[in-house]
Amino acid sequence: MIEVRGLTKRFRDRVAVEDLSFTVGRGEVVGLLGPNGAGKSTTMRILTGFLPASGGSARIAGFDVFEEPLEVKRRIGYLPESPPLYDAMTARAYLRFVCDLKALPRRRVTDEVARVAARVGIADVLERLLGNLSKGYRQRVGLAQALLGDPEVLVLDEPTVGLDPLQIREVRDLIRSFAGHHTVLLSTHILPEVAMTCEKVLVLSEGRLVDYDTLDGLIARHLPGRRVTLEDITFLEEIYGKLVAAPPAVPN
Amino acid sequence: MGIARKELAVYFTTPVAWVVLMVVAFFSAQFFAGALDGFRYLATRALQLPSSGVLDRMNLTDMVVARLFGSVALFLLITSPFLTMRLLAEERRSSTFELLLTTPLRPVEIVMGKYLAALAVLLASLAIVAAYPALLALVGRGAQGGSAVEWPTVATGLLGLFLLGGMALAVGLCFSAFTDAPVVAALLSLIVLLGLWVATLFTITADGPVRDLAEALSASEHLGSFLQGQIALKDVLYYLSFTALGLFLAERAVEGRRWA
Repeated sequence: MIEVRGLTKRFRDRVAVEDLSFTVGRGEVVGLLGPNGAGKSTTMRILTGFLPASGGSARIAGFDVFEEPLEVKRRIGYLPESPPLYDAMTARAYLRFVCDLKALPRRRVTDEVARVAARVGIADVLERLLGNLSKGYRQRVGLAQALLGDPEVLVLDEPTVGLDPLQIREVRDLIRSFAGHHTVLLSTHILPEVAMTCEKVLVLSEGRLVDYDTLDGLIARHLPGRRVTLEDITFLEEIYGKLVAAPPAVPN
Repeated sequence: MGIARKELAVYFTTPVAWVVLMVVAFFSAQFFAGALDGFRYLATRALQLPSSGVLDRMNLTDMVVARLFGSVALFLLITSPFLTMRLLAEERRSSTFELLLTTPLRPVEIVMGKYLAALAVLLASLAIVAAYPALLALVGRGAQGGSAVEWPTVATGLLGLFLLGGMALAVGLCFSAFTDAPVVAALLSLIVLLGLWVATLFTITADGPVRDLAEALSASEHLGSFLQGQIALKDVLYYLSFTALGLFLAERAVEGRRWA
């Protein structure tokens, strides 16, 4: 579903992403992990067609993001690092506006807004101005916007930032429920989040891929012989520490 | 055209459009009253000079409506940067630009959506201005018993104002596309638009090619024929080419994000 080959992004004097290659299969939920400045957001911005790559290619559902941006954008729901909200609009007007941008059929708009609002738990704030909402609600409206139109691929940049612990659990459950139906690429630097929501983990450091495997695969290779449970999160911290501290190695 | 609808809603839920309409209404009322007063003064003087023929050559359309339109033109130029300044600059500054550019919209649709919303406010301003000739027609009578104003001339005048305002909005939108700060966009477009407006000064002070160039570039020179009831191709082309240039550059600036 997502195919990235030799992707490179250079800003004037800085390499943000270097020779990145990976594929994500249909219906997989993949966590993008890495320290600040590792290139997570840049990678996501290239995949969604917001930023051009300096080299390499990226394909979503078989369409090249640079050659056929409209086909790609029709299939992606994207939550940027900070939710893209207009403070002067109500949540409902905003979601209807995004439906318009995504060119959803007019008669589906009302149902679609209601469906998505129920899904992320913002049904009771739909009439409020976005500028007056708390950070958690703003984040959820941002997530709702990405879900409109039921896109095949979801690219979520830190979807749980700013939420309280209960809301985090709700959003995690929501993302887990996407598995199989949506292909999800989500970034975070909260480790338990990855352990609880993702089947596979992609670790970036300084713009390079340092490892990409299923959770079980990572455990088997980095902590051989260790029995871990998902409730015990220290194992991921250990693996993450090893990967990020060590110089980037060629994976697999 | 979801963008046009949304921008129009923003214009009228925030004070922007109301302030612009108020400024246009206030100043056009002043100019109208002033022009009408001047007309009355001249008419009473003309009455004291019988058989001079002055009175026969005076008419409300040229002496009141055209003067009003000529003054309103300047206010359209001054207010339009405030309508366009935040249209793209504000998106660029916040993450909403990411939203616009990652939904299946072409840059030209984004630019045109914004432009149409601004044009709608311009039309509302012109509706206010058009109320004055309508008022004259309502309370006045023509010399030969017809309408007090010559509607064809009023119509070409309004068309001229619309073309001029449309150009001003396109120039403003263009600057809004190139900067992240709405204030910078407003200032730059004000400088350019007022520069085009006062270029006409050089037609008085300069000679030769400089004079020709000033006359060709001046936004006010090109309005003259419209106010006299003519539609000259060169004047229409002048406004349309500046409009097209502004919109084209704005579209390039939005598209340019993909190549940066």
